Amino acid sequence: MSCPKSILISAYLDEELQGSDRATLEAHVQGCNRCSQSLEELRSLRAAFSTTQRHQAPYGFATRVMARTRELEKQQTPWHVPLIMRFAEVAVLLVVITVGILAGRVMTNGSSVTGTTTISSTLSLDMFDATPPGSLGGAYLAMTEARNEK
Amino acid sequence: MTLSCIIASVQTNDDLNLIENFKKGDTSAFGEIVLKYQDKVYNLCRHMLGNAADADDAAQDVFLKAYQALPKFQPDASLYTWLYRIATNTCIDYKRKPIFESLFGDSGEGEKLVHDRASDAPSPEKLYQSKQIGQALQVCLGELSPKLRAIIVLKEVEELSYEEMAETLDISMGTVKSRIARAREDLQKCMHKKN
Repeated sequence: MSCPKSILISAYLDEELQGSDRATLEAHVQGCNRCSQSLEELRSLRAAFSTTQRHQAPYGFATRVMARTRELEKQQTPWHVPLIMRFAEVAVLLVVITVGILAGRVMTNGSSVTGTTTISSTLSLDMFDATPPGSLGGAYLAMTEARNEK
Repeated sequence: MTLSCIIASVQTNDDLNLIENFKKGDTSAFGEIVLKYQDKVYNLCRHMLGNAADADDAAQDVFLKAYQALPKFQPDASLYTWLYRIATNTCIDYKRKPIFESLFGDSGEGEKLVHDRASDAPSPEKLYQSKQIGQALQVCLGELSPKLRAIIVLKEVEELSYEEMAETLDISMGTVKSRIARAREDLQKCMHKKN
């Protein structure tokens, strides 16, 4: 029998060779100095690995990993959440503006706002005039204009 | 059923419970996974990368990747081979520092060596010889390609079977056999040169 490939000797060393393959190789190695030496060299290499040390994770390793997972969670907030928050912010802002306009209208007219027409007129831009209708400034301007006409 | 099979099945059930709890939102379950596998993953990275600082960084990256991928974990694979796969890929892709520190000399800051597997109380002469061999091996490991280094570390350090290595590295059994034989040949040639 010709010498087996190194793959087979390597697999034999790892006890991954089964059945007749194993028996054939064992018989060959016993009668072949070259293969016997190859096997011994592989065993020496394994012995060299056995001198290596097992290393334990450094102190606080798991704590550091968990801290990083928390950072990861913060970074990976679902994209739709901020969008919803933005919509909510805009909605609240619109409500505040509307309530502010209505409240301003009520205060300037001195009466409560009722009905669709009143609300639509309340939302007009008259509110933002320098002298809103019914205000003290408006009354003063009307008085001045009347005097000038005379 | 052998004792090892019973232990393995219990470990798998524990892992499956932890994964299920994590998927339900229990992040402490992931903490338990980290505590359970941190030494194995760190040791693999330490041998793959050759120094404590890089091994620490890489091992942390491994668990972060696992944290993100765990919701998609398929229970037909075992958790430790899955973690080993992430670890070997992370270490293969890791940009190593140029200096390959001694695996046998001083350990990194905060790192604790578990035990010397050679013997309980070696003589000074034996210790000197084994240290020399160890140093040569460490240098030769650093000279191997990352893929060959991964397979020899998984076999000789982590003591995985061929089947487990095939699953971990996502390669065929034939590739495992040829790659490990190649890694041994390259290591032997290198060791002869060093000696």
